[in-house]
Amino acid sequence: MKNILLLEDLPEIRSWLKALVMQVFPNAQIVECARVHDALAQVSAQKFDLALIDLGLPDGSGVDVVTALREAQAEALSVIVTIHDDDDHLFPALQAGAYGYILKEQSRELITEQLQRISQGEPPLSPSIARKVIAYFAAQAKPQANALPHVQLTERESEVLLRVAKGFTLPEIGVQLGLSRHTIADYVKQIYRKLNVSSRAEAALEAQRLGLFGRR
Amino acid sequence: MTVHAIEDQPRDHAGPRRRHWPLLTALLLLVFAAAAQAQTVRFTQAQAVAADTEYFPELPDVRNVELPDDWAVSRPDHGGPVWYRMYFDAEAVRASGELLALYIERACSAMAVRLNGKLVHLSGRLTEPVSRSCQRPQLVALPVAWMQPRNNQLDVKVMGFPLRQVASRQRAGGLSEIELGPYAALATKHSWRTLVAIRLPEVISGSLFLVGCLIFAMGWLNRAQSFLAYFGALLVGWALVLSRQWVADMPWPNASSEFLLAILASFVTLAAVQFLLRYGGERRRWIDVALPTQCAVMPLTLMVMGAQHLHAMATFWYVVLAVEVGAAAMFYLRKLWLYKRTQFWPMALLGFAMVIAALVEFGAQQFGVDPRIVSAAQILPPLLFVALGIRLVQQYGRQLQDAQHDRAELERRVQEASMQIERNFAQLADLKVEQVTQQERKRIAADLHDDLGAKLLTIVHTSDNERISTLAREALEEMRLSVRGLTGKAVPLLNALGDWRAEFVSRLSQAGVDGSWHAPADDDVPQLLSARAFVQTTRVLREAVSNIIKHSGASRCTVRCTIAEGDLQVVIQDNGKGIPLELDGRLDRGHGMASMKHRAKQLQGQCLVESGPGYGTVIRLTIPLDRHLASV
Repeated sequence: MKNILLLEDLPEIRSWLKALVMQVFPNAQIVECARVHDALAQVSAQKFDLALIDLGLPDGSGVDVVTALREAQAEALSVIVTIHDDDDHLFPALQAGAYGYILKEQSRELITEQLQRISQGEPPLSPSIARKVIAYFAAQAKPQANALPHVQLTERESEVLLRVAKGFTLPEIGVQLGLSRHTIADYVKQIYRKLNVSSRAEAALEAQRLGLFGRR
Repeated sequence: MTVHAIEDQPRDHAGPRRRHWPLLTALLLLVFAAAAQAQTVRFTQAQAVAADTEYFPELPDVRNVELPDDWAVSRPDHGGPVWYRMYFDAEAVRASGELLALYIERACSAMAVRLNGKLVHLSGRLTEPVSRSCQRPQLVALPVAWMQPRNNQLDVKVMGFPLRQVASRQRAGGLSEIELGPYAALATKHSWRTLVAIRLPEVISGSLFLVGCLIFAMGWLNRAQSFLAYFGALLVGWALVLSRQWVADMPWPNASSEFLLAILASFVTLAAVQFLLRYGGERRRWIDVALPTQCAVMPLTLMVMGAQHLHAMATFWYVVLAVEVGAAAMFYLRKLWLYKRTQFWPMALLGFAMVIAALVEFGAQQFGVDPRIVSAAQILPPLLFVALGIRLVQQYGRQLQDAQHDRAELERRVQEASMQIERNFAQLADLKVEQVTQQERKRIAADLHDDLGAKLLTIVHTSDNERISTLAREALEEMRLSVRGLTGKAVPLLNALGDWRAEFVSRLSQAGVDGSWHAPADDDVPQLLSARAFVQTTRVLREAVSNIIKHSGASRCTVRCTIAEGDLQVVIQDNGKGIPLELDGRLDRGHGMASMKHRAKQLQGQCLVESGPGYGTVIRLTIPLDRHLASV
């Protein structure tokens, strides 16, 4: 992790986060932003490995930055750092391509651990988010939903999601399914990726249906 | 001088009838005993000479003619005036002193009567504009004082017009038979004839005119039923045509009257054809143009041909117009046959009667038909018109009734619709209130997060004091749960169990405590948990787990969730050192036991804590589900 984008409007929290990130990634270059506007400019200016993005910002939503980063730099990891723990706020960001989320009020130790996990390819997944993902793909699988070659979850991915929804932790699921920790993590990454791909295709189709394309 | 044509018996040359005659006479004598004395004399011959003089002229070309003298036959090119002279004896009458009279059924167009050279009667003007009294029977009282016993001279001067100058043969010059007899007997005959030939047409004309105007107005005001207007026009036109029977004196010459009567036919045709077409539900543009054009062309042709050829030209036009009306009638009847079979026969009968009337009229105009038949034929069409008019007005009335009924129906529906709209609007308003409330809650929640949340967060991460930092974190969690309780929807109990399990297991494993979680099978928990119950239960569980991690020193913790008798029961058991009692015998407040109990109470549940040093702690949380089930 060399280049890290830090988008947070509250100065105290930003400096606290920066200190925390410096501790986890001692050699990283950290670019700080307080506005969506600045963040978008930075995204188009340089490459990032990791981006910590707040959702509620004075000039817009961090989701836009997630989207921009996903389109411009597919390899970059977007992580939501938020005070909102409800799914209504988180889910759009995950659909836009975010790779997990961290709740700000958690203890320094917990956040440090989560950041390390994320950078090692082990994104977090809560039961309520898992339920949302299940519901989303169930709606996509309905025959009348749309005409796009929709993305489907594999049986194993569905299995993992169902277990997460019931409150099992990822290590527990690994034990239950007889899989390694890394395999489970890969499933979760796949789930995030598929959620993003499917959402983008759906958004494009929706735009087409509304005539947003070809109007100009 | 000779006495001509003095007969006191009806002329009857039919052989077989003659044999019955005495019997019939006898019968008549019996029945009309009073009238038997009234002997009438019928003049069937007269001396005639054409001359426009004040008295019967002494001219060489006096000749004998048969009465009735139809000029169209006897002197085709001659107009008037023509003098007729008859003689009669009056000895008996003079002796009885009875009043004598002449009855002249037809003297066309006007006449003057002289008895022994003295003027006794004028039926109208003999010079232009000549009175038009062709149909009007004349009754002339003869003063006995001016009579001689024998050889009384009766001179009749008739002013008329040749056939070719009139539009109808009925108005070509001529003189009918003349009857001489007792005034009373002839007056009866005269009044009957007047009734049929003058009064009845007068009355019918007037009624037709009024009814026509009325129906025309109805059609005019209601353009969707334009056939009514045309029918009204037809009636008015017919009333005018019929007025030829009784209107005697016009301020213009006879030729003009004839001209007007002729062109009136084209107007009547227009009305009749349009009525038939439109009543049959048909409207053709070209007919709308053609018929008025015809009305203009017809007078032009008549004028071009001149007054001398009026009869020929008018006859030609009458045939054309009759064909047009006939065609329209056929068209109409065909439509009826195809679409309204029930109405076909009455209308066909009506049409047939009209054809008969038209044929009689045509015959009268061309060949001369018995005037009584003609009169009957003339009365027939107006009667049929009136019948048809009544039918039309009835239909109109029914349609009006239907329209009113429809309108009432429409009003009812509009009222229903508006009531429905009002109801919907009320529902919509309720929905809107609900929506606005939701939005407002969300706004408050967002504000709490953004302002209070951000500040608490800053305290959490910037405070050096661990206690303050922890307090701020707890406050933040409280705030978040409150917000969820404020905005949240009911949560399926199954989901709630999943959330609790994940938090429980991950927190305990982070703390190095061996946690085990037992929950009922998925199918056994279909219940919903209200947002408030979910939030409060989450807090109690969180507090319990915090206690175990911080204070108990336990190495193992078990949670059992069960559903029994509509209650959710959660038993949290650890193998720690237990909670120490305070001095007053109550459990340590620092462990948050009071707040856990308080929260349970708020949900009408309870929270029991069993603990003893060395025995670990058992917390039994009971939350009734019934009251929170589906309490969205």
